[in-house]
Amino acid sequence: MDDYLIGVLSNIGVISFVALSAYLLLLTGEISFGQQAFFAIGAYSAGIATAMWSWPLSAALVFGAATGGASAALVGLPTLRLHGLYFAIATLAFAEMVRLLFELFQYQVLIDGELVGPNGADGFRGIRYIFQNDISALQFMGLIYALLAATLVGFLLLERSVLGVSFRMIGEDSVLAQLQGIAVARHKVLAAGLAGALAGIGGGLYAHLTTYVEPRVFDVMLGVLSLAYGLIGGLGTALGPLLGVLIDIGLLESIRALAGYRMIIFGGLVALLLIVRPRGLLDERVVHHLGRLWHRAWTHMRMAPR
Amino acid sequence: MDAHADGTEMTKITIGTLVAACCAAGAWAADVRAKADVTCKPTATKLEYDCIIKLSNARTGEPLKDVTLTVGADMPSMPAAHNVRPVKAEASAEAGTYQARIQLEMLGDWAVRLDLSGAVRDRVIAILRFEADRVAPPPPAASKAPPRHRH
Amino acid sequence: MIDFVQNTIDGVMIGSSYALLALGFTLIFGVMRRLNLSYGPSIMIGAYLGTWIYVQAGAGPLAVAAAVVLGAVLAGVYVERLCFAPMGFAAGIASMVSSFAIWMQLEQAAILVLPRHTYPFPPLATGAPLTLGPFLLRVDHLIMLACALGLAAGVQIVLYRTRFGLALRAIIGNPTAAHLVGINVKAAVLGAFAAASALGGVAGYLVLATDQQVTPMFGMWATMKGLIAMMIGGLGSIPGAVLGGLLLGVVEVHSQWYFGPQVRDLVAYLLLFVVLVVHPGGFIGRAPGREGTMPEQRA
Repeated sequence: MDDYLIGVLSNIGVISFVALSAYLLLLTGEISFGQQAFFAIGAYSAGIATAMWSWPLSAALVFGAATGGASAALVGLPTLRLHGLYFAIATLAFAEMVRLLFELFQYQVLIDGELVGPNGADGFRGIRYIFQNDISALQFMGLIYALLAATLVGFLLLERSVLGVSFRMIGEDSVLAQLQGIAVARHKVLAAGLAGALAGIGGGLYAHLTTYVEPRVFDVMLGVLSLAYGLIGGLGTALGPLLGVLIDIGLLESIRALAGYRMIIFGGLVALLLIVRPRGLLDERVVHHLGRLWHRAWTHMRMAPR
Repeated sequence: MDAHADGTEMTKITIGTLVAACCAAGAWAADVRAKADVTCKPTATKLEYDCIIKLSNARTGEPLKDVTLTVGADMPSMPAAHNVRPVKAEASAEAGTYQARIQLEMLGDWAVRLDLSGAVRDRVIAILRFEADRVAPPPPAASKAPPRHRH
Repeated sequence: MIDFVQNTIDGVMIGSSYALLALGFTLIFGVMRRLNLSYGPSIMIGAYLGTWIYVQAGAGPLAVAAAVVLGAVLAGVYVERLCFAPMGFAAGIASMVSSFAIWMQLEQAAILVLPRHTYPFPPLATGAPLTLGPFLLRVDHLIMLACALGLAAGVQIVLYRTRFGLALRAIIGNPTAAHLVGINVKAAVLGAFAAASALGGVAGYLVLATDQQVTPMFGMWATMKGLIAMMIGGLGSIPGAVLGGLLLGVVEVHSQWYFGPQVRDLVAYLLLFVVLVVHPGGFIGRAPGREGTMPEQRA
């Protein structure tokens, strides 16, 4: 597998985490333009852990997920009262604050005669764990996809669980959900925390994939794109946001010949798709139909005479 | 006027240094860290640039020979989105110097990614601002707002 | 002390540019209850048109201003047709995200045509600043402030004294009822969009002429400042937009003076966040209840 393809696939894998993060919140009916903040927090945390504190990668990724999840839950609390547009803008404001804080954040350690660590707007270089420990690009891609697969299994279980149904109920109508006995506030904070942790894992992986992060990476565009992936790919299943990422980064790759026009084409495509299918390609109806088709095929197979 | 690290930061840094020094000494002795000097010039073709890269050992300063160098680029403001096809650099006559021609998609700030393999395995990032007529490191971080003149 | 007052004066001046941006934003938000994330970029299209005729044809300030407004209106109508008209009053976030997709489109289009990092803009007013005792007042800032107040008054008059304004207020109140009563909702919304874009064009021209340059970051900047000013001042309220803009300007100048540009932007967002959490209606607006968010608000 050539290096370029590995690079592209790794990028797809990492961005999928932040797309899934926005998707999880969408399930509970909340639009967030700010998941990139937790992506950033996870990236910096994991990077600091390996590059400056010499932690092993696994511990660093857990740390990134923890900081991402904790900060998300903390932000989820004051914004509980907010809905719809107001919540969305609040998340946007929060994410920009995080980005600006990282532009001011300086924490450097002298290692081997050189300063290593986040240096404000100049960014955080030298997150070289995979080079120091001889992890090949292919192996790291494997790690990314292993974690992604585990996340997808988690989503699959979630969709079938009471928790998942509660989330979707809150998304449909939180007042009704509350009347049914669902502790809406607690669930929302839980969803926020889980989403933040997801973004945090993605961030940690991103930091190690590129070895370099800077605050500019975590701007509004990333946040809105991660939301757009779910909206394009579909909100009926966790595979929807993945499809969105694939269409974007995959499409962006295939239109290489039209270099420099990508955003024009992509932007236009997004707008058109949102007119025709506001809940994405794999929306709940499609997923339902696919599910029934599958079920029918399955029972048909089982009932076929031997 | 940027905020500077205050007293608590210094404490953290000192403790961090001690810990890092203890733990890192063994692990990193064998690992060669690369340093890169990148200069790029625009070619006749639009958005195409010729880059000369000087690789050296960050610790000893010795030029790095026999390294397979692949040059790629990403736009910091759009992570993982602009995947410029990496190009294999050619070794020049001078030891540790390599040449590559890269094709970008837009003008602006790019994080040029130098992937080393072969004799040394590492990755170095160089941020450069690519304009139509020249390439230079970007000016120190300016805020996004238009500048406000003081009288 | 002198510094403090001078900074406050500067803040009010700069705030007037925010107020101008917030005016147009408020008009769209008030009418459509949707966030137009392409607002700044559509103004930027106008700005690029303006700088183009300035650089290519050496046009005078008035011609440049007209170009900016024209470009902004054209871009704004484009956004409205593509992102908001097809969705009507339903599919809330879809139209918002759609407008962001078009933002990406507009920004890239602008950068493709004019790829450099900065382009010149004709100055608004040359000459020494006026003095008022120990304080300095820049003439171009004063022009901006005058325009902000004038336009705000103008919009208020249009809203409350004209048929068009009446139609808009009817739509703001209840779009379905407005339609039933015979108001051509689609046309009125398009008109509101065009008017908002024109306001934005004027705002953009004034800001850029004061800075004498335009950069590709202008689009995002304008959207964010207009958004913050609108939200802290009060949604759907013209006086609120002005108040929010001025307040934001003052807070920003003081923050930058003591702490630098990053803290300035940080404080702006913090202010927005705090206002949202504590009193989402902003200083003047009413806090929205459940009925404030329409059932179509969810995806």
